[in-house]
Amino acid sequence: MSNVNEKPGSNPSAKAATRNQLSKRSPKGGTNFWARLWAQRELMLMLIPGVVFYIVFKYLPMYGMRISFIEYQPIFGYDGSPWVGFAHFETLLVQQWPLFSKLLFNTLLISILSFGTSFPLTILFALILNEVRMPKIKKGYQTISYLPTFLSGVIIASIFIELFSVGDGIINKIIMAFGQKPINFMLQPWGYYLVYIISGLWAGMGNGAIIYLSALAAVDQEMYEAAEIDGCSRLKRIWHITLPSISPTIITMFLLNIGSLIRVGADKSLLLRNSATIDDVYMFATYVYDIGIRGSQTSYAAAIGFFESVVCAFMLITFNYIAKKRTGSSIW
Amino acid sequence: MRLHKKKKFDYIDVIANTVMILFSLCILYPMLHVLAVSFSEKGPILRNEITIFPVGFTLESYTYFMDHPQFFSGFVNGVWYTVEGVFANLFFTALLAYPMSKNKLIGRSILMKIFVFTMYFGGGLIPIYMQLCSMGLYGSEWSWILAELISTYNLIILINGYQAIPESLYEAAYLDGASDFQVFFKIALPLCKASLASIGLFYFIGHWNSWYSAMLYLDDENKYPLQLFMRSVLIENKETNMNPNFDQNLTPIGVKNSLIVISMIPVMIVYPFVQKYFVKGVMMGSVKG
Repeated sequence: MSNVNEKPGSNPSAKAATRNQLSKRSPKGGTNFWARLWAQRELMLMLIPGVVFYIVFKYLPMYGMRISFIEYQPIFGYDGSPWVGFAHFETLLVQQWPLFSKLLFNTLLISILSFGTSFPLTILFALILNEVRMPKIKKGYQTISYLPTFLSGVIIASIFIELFSVGDGIINKIIMAFGQKPINFMLQPWGYYLVYIISGLWAGMGNGAIIYLSALAAVDQEMYEAAEIDGCSRLKRIWHITLPSISPTIITMFLLNIGSLIRVGADKSLLLRNSATIDDVYMFATYVYDIGIRGSQTSYAAAIGFFESVVCAFMLITFNYIAKKRTGSSIW
Repeated sequence: MRLHKKKKFDYIDVIANTVMILFSLCILYPMLHVLAVSFSEKGPILRNEITIFPVGFTLESYTYFMDHPQFFSGFVNGVWYTVEGVFANLFFTALLAYPMSKNKLIGRSILMKIFVFTMYFGGGLIPIYMQLCSMGLYGSEWSWILAELISTYNLIILINGYQAIPESLYEAAYLDGASDFQVFFKIALPLCKASLASIGLFYFIGHWNSWYSAMLYLDDENKYPLQLFMRSVLIENKETNMNPNFDQNLTPIGVKNSLIVISMIPVMIVYPFVQKYFVKGVMMGSVKG
């Protein structure tokens, strides 16, 4: 599961077998490197566009991260701008510590709240849906559940801002039905986080549950039947058979997601924030966008982005290491 | 066992179905509400009477965008960028995935590591933005189409798809003297239609719904895709609350919701045909990666 290295290619006997097949086709008949390369010339040709893409659009920008160590000025370009070393990082971590801690806190807050709700609720959703025993109805529930995946972030944000609005939102209608005063959610930071989390659940649960449902479908039905004969109740079967059967999937998904915990995109936040909440809900991605793209502190913004990337990579490596030790499965 | 024993409908069935019905209502209510408001008359909208059924059916809200130049250019641009993007994505992903599906390929495992690494580490917003601008791609949709030409996740799905084709089919073709390009176009691609449909759907959803990249790289409003125009209407209220010439026979909410409904038409057209590929694609992605 999820081990990219575990392709048949890493199997030595399979490698030897393909090499033998290849030598039959090789026009020169040899098995040396150049003969193999010649035999694969068309495959190599097919590789070129993709490899060029990865170099130009994935690896060159990594080299471009050196902008964090200079004071970039558009008229001088990369090479003419003065080298400042770690000055931007010093500014970020020392002089601007209150700002930095706020960015880190808000980023972690939003990712932990999102992950902490969506991860268990998605599993719970899959488990409950799995207990619906009429196949057609089950399929119907599932089809409805991932419908929001097809909607854009703009639409989702608009729908939820309207749902939570004071004038026409159903949430405030319910609040008023209980005799309480309406709440203007979008003007409060906590309301912003609430809408962020709930819209995320609404849009992502059905999609996230697909993986668990496919794992649930693969559970051996005979185990359930044997347990039933032994007088095991349905609830006990869920606890003792279903959950252990999908726990490898749960662990893998947990590790896959927790590594990229602080990688929160700017787009949803840009849609949900407004002038009342903007200063309170800044996180890394939105701040980088505001000062780097809209503003002109290009190098400083890049340094913040650099910091975020490094922390993200560090977390990923750490959690992957733990995963390898504990469960033997890892993402690379 | 299951054949002769009729399962009883016990309390867990009741709980499961109740929860699922409530959940489905939570998913559907906001969408049906949008649909209902877009077809309702002004009075009921202002009195806040609409739930999931339109009150006093009318198409008035829709007329607002009928002669709106930016709506039309947005719609056309959005469709065009999506078509360009999906074809470019599919072609280059399919082309790269084919050699990568061959275990015998020289340097395969190191290339795979190089590709997968980019899933977890990237240059970040500013370096990518600077580079695309320096390449002269600012102001063109090709900036983000090229920058996201191949998604590594989709690449892995397609590599698995190619590898699922029986090796004997490839061997037979090679024995008949077919070249790698011929095998790719005549055997691998036609037999991988399901995988191609799945990743094509992922790319389609991504392009049609994207607005952030367009906001970064486009400055000319006439080049905006629909989602970006929608952002100015739905989130920034530029057409409604901010517009002194707003038609008083309409309501801002009715107009906004009719725009949402129109923007969903392309998705709703393809949804019934591609829905099954969506689930397949997500499952294929979970096998590795």
